[in-house]
Amino acid sequence: MVTPITMPKFGQMTEESAIVEWLKKEGDTVAKGDVLFLVETDKSVMEVESFEEGTLLKIAVGVGTSVPVQSVVAYLGKPSEAIPVSSAQIPPAPMVASTGKTVKTSRTGVAQGAVVTAPEAATAPPQFASVASPSASGRSRFRISPRAAALARRSVIDPRAIAGSGPEGRIVEKDVTAFLAAKGYGGLRISPAAKTLAAKEGLDLIALNADNAGRRIEIADIERAVAEKPRPLSKMRQVIAQRLTQSVVTAPHFYVTVEVDMGNVLAARSESNAAGARLTVTDFIAKAVTLALKEFPVVNSATDGKTVRRRSRIHLGIAVTLDEGLVVPVIRDADDLTLFELSDRARALIEKARSGALTPDEMSGSTFSISNMGMLDVENFTAIINPGEAAILAVSSTIRKPVVRGEAIVVRPMMKLTLSSDHRLIDGAVAARFANSIRTKLEDEAIWSVLTS
Amino acid sequence: MERFDVVVIGAGPGGYPAAIRAAQLGASVAIVERDGFGGTCLNYGCIPTKSLIASAEAFARVGEAKSFGISVGGAGFDYAAMVGRKDGIVDQLQSGVKQLLTANGVKQFSGMASFKDRQTIAIDGVTTIGGKRIIIATGSTSATPGFLPVHERIVDSRAFLALNRLPASMIVLGGGFIGCEIAAMAAALGVKVTIVELLPDILTLLDADLRAEVRGHMEKKLAIRVLTGQSLVDIVADARSVSGQRGTERIEAELLLNAVGRRPVTDGLNLAAAGLATSASGFIETDDYCRTKVATIFAIGDVTGKTQLAHYATAQGIAAAENALGKIPRRHATLVPNVIFTMPEVATVGVSEAEAATQGRAVRTGRFRIAALGKGLAAGETAGFVKWIAEADSERLIGAAAVGPHATELIATATLAIRAEFTAHEFGDCIHAHPTFSEAWMEAAHALRGESIHVPPRQRPALKLATQ
Repeated sequence: MVTPITMPKFGQMTEESAIVEWLKKEGDTVAKGDVLFLVETDKSVMEVESFEEGTLLKIAVGVGTSVPVQSVVAYLGKPSEAIPVSSAQIPPAPMVASTGKTVKTSRTGVAQGAVVTAPEAATAPPQFASVASPSASGRSRFRISPRAAALARRSVIDPRAIAGSGPEGRIVEKDVTAFLAAKGYGGLRISPAAKTLAAKEGLDLIALNADNAGRRIEIADIERAVAEKPRPLSKMRQVIAQRLTQSVVTAPHFYVTVEVDMGNVLAARSESNAAGARLTVTDFIAKAVTLALKEFPVVNSATDGKTVRRRSRIHLGIAVTLDEGLVVPVIRDADDLTLFELSDRARALIEKARSGALTPDEMSGSTFSISNMGMLDVENFTAIINPGEAAILAVSSTIRKPVVRGEAIVVRPMMKLTLSSDHRLIDGAVAARFANSIRTKLEDEAIWSVLTS
Repeated sequence: MERFDVVVIGAGPGGYPAAIRAAQLGASVAIVERDGFGGTCLNYGCIPTKSLIASAEAFARVGEAKSFGISVGGAGFDYAAMVGRKDGIVDQLQSGVKQLLTANGVKQFSGMASFKDRQTIAIDGVTTIGGKRIIIATGSTSATPGFLPVHERIVDSRAFLALNRLPASMIVLGGGFIGCEIAAMAAALGVKVTIVELLPDILTLLDADLRAEVRGHMEKKLAIRVLTGQSLVDIVADARSVSGQRGTERIEAELLLNAVGRRPVTDGLNLAAAGLATSASGFIETDDYCRTKVATIFAIGDVTGKTQLAHYATAQGIAAAENALGKIPRRHATLVPNVIFTMPEVATVGVSEAEAATQGRAVRTGRFRIAALGKGLAAGETAGFVKWIAEADSERLIGAAAVGPHATELIATATLAIRAEFTAHEFGDCIHAHPTFSEAWMEAAHALRGESIHVPPRQRPALKLATQ
């Protein structure tokens, strides 16, 4: 029996996912528990194991195409079995995957449910880069005669820019000929190898020629055009784009910067670490922030512009930079943790983030976030508030600089903190007092001598 | 002090074209040369060696006269006359260079150029001239390893070309193209030649199939002894002979040609005064626009440590002159044909098979042997083959090699095809005249696509044609 393999649902919020790598290819034998493919979800990359054994008959969804959860992505069965035509099905109850890293594929019956959309895009020929992909309805209206299509293909041009003179706007050969003449195709000069490559990459020579100002098109031009072709952002970047844009558009940001003398923190840290601890500057800032948030509950809340939601618990998000983007692992109930416990949790989460092992739950639910660019040698910067929160703290580098103490100028390790606040909820004075509360705590020798002892 | 828009230091195949191009663009130009106008190429390299090789080849051809149905009795040669012919050619070309420079209004200075500052050059410490832009084209000279004693029996290529008689036997130290060219020429004139190369093979920049072809001919047809993979040590020269130790063997000859390599010439230039320094290996570093670190100073040719070939220096020289005077900088071309006048000749251009393998590029090759050409048989020149190297999927031609008769001429077609970004398909469609040596390229392009007309197929496909 042929078993369809479907895209699992990785969390409550996941609507669609993209396969980033197939570890099995068509014709491979699959055992139960073998990893079939890797999926990029909103938050991370997951391995998907096979629930069944058999031969991978067909891969229906290639790498890079985002499909709705429960879409059929492949078929498993015996080597001789036929793959059901138009039988891609969705089972009645979507299986919700556990939050573990590895997810089992669900097994779906052939007789149930609706048809899956979109997988054909994975095997479609290269699209013309110069033209936005037409909508499904637009594509259905595109009519072209075989001779016209062949001429367009031979000429390596995008026929969709041509106005058709046939019935219902069908493009016929003389439309293509006229179009080529109008665009000065006869004067186009291109090296043979460049033309071969352009055809393979689905580029439009008319657009290339315009870019090239009539110069002979050579391999280097094609390679440049290929490199500049729009490509889908990674799922992670799309999530970042969507969330940050939403935040900037809906939450009116304003910024308050304070400068902190880090002398006492650095001294307490060296002392603790000399005694065997592994505290980071971020740990101290996280602790100071938790203490300050207890004094300013409004900063630990969120608004949608109509209601305000106070949170009694403090879940601290720590932004971590990865090669391909950034993630924000969450330290839950940070206010219940000692400095050392906070440090251990932060370290464990950051290591998981770097190895791509964070579970969706470990990446959601923060009530306030910290973004630390201290190791990147920056004077000051501002951060964008995580949607669902009221503020974010941007931590810059600690720089030794002259400051005035009493009537004297002394050299001190100074660090700038910039608080971005949602003005719908937080007013300037509150933000200023909150920022100064963090500063005061960081500069207070007594706090750290108690907390590190 | 006389001031010029452009001062070129060195009048070799890089320097004099740079000066002429600058003059064509309307600049006032001076050129300074401390040795012969035309540089190493014209005086001590390309041209003199090719003159002597032409004599040697003509003599070898006379030896084959009988096979063409010609009776020649008592053929012999006068090496001094061959050298005389060579000197005549060099003189003619040298005065040609000077006339061209003069005709373009380039002021010529003979003497040693030395920077006083970025825009001032002293010549022999006497005359001082100024240049808004300066192009350094001082070239290279034979490198002499420290272990070689100084003796009249030990010569570099320049000293060898000045000899009026050939030795009876000769050791060639270094199996690069200079060593191999002179070895082949001398062997064709009856000198007992031994090549000693430290590397595992001679001409190591070439693909193995080309090396095997050349080495086979040099060993079998020219009776050159080729010893590779071990160096010659303990070299001693005296009044009777020169000898060196290689493993357990003592190799002795009348003369030793040092052809281990070349080093850049920057002595006396006083680069520091211009704010320039040489790299650790002695070269003046430049970018693809021939610019040095100093904005007004350019450098071209062998002294820059890129490919050390006369025609490459010329291309750089022209680009440097345009970049020194123009507004829009342009890169000099980098597709450089490489020609070696051994017997048989070898020429390559673009990417070699070995380079493609190193770069991880998937390639397909197409070869065609000269012996399969009607013209080859008719002309009595059947050695060697030509080879295309193309990208595996697109069949874009990216490299070519020829070994055999006229290989150094044949490479021009391949260079043009690669520069024009031809595919094997396109090239194979281009009609080549029959019977010619050039046909080999078309045949090799067909072979690359498995469509060779003049090579029997390994397997015959079946085609069923519908009856009408």
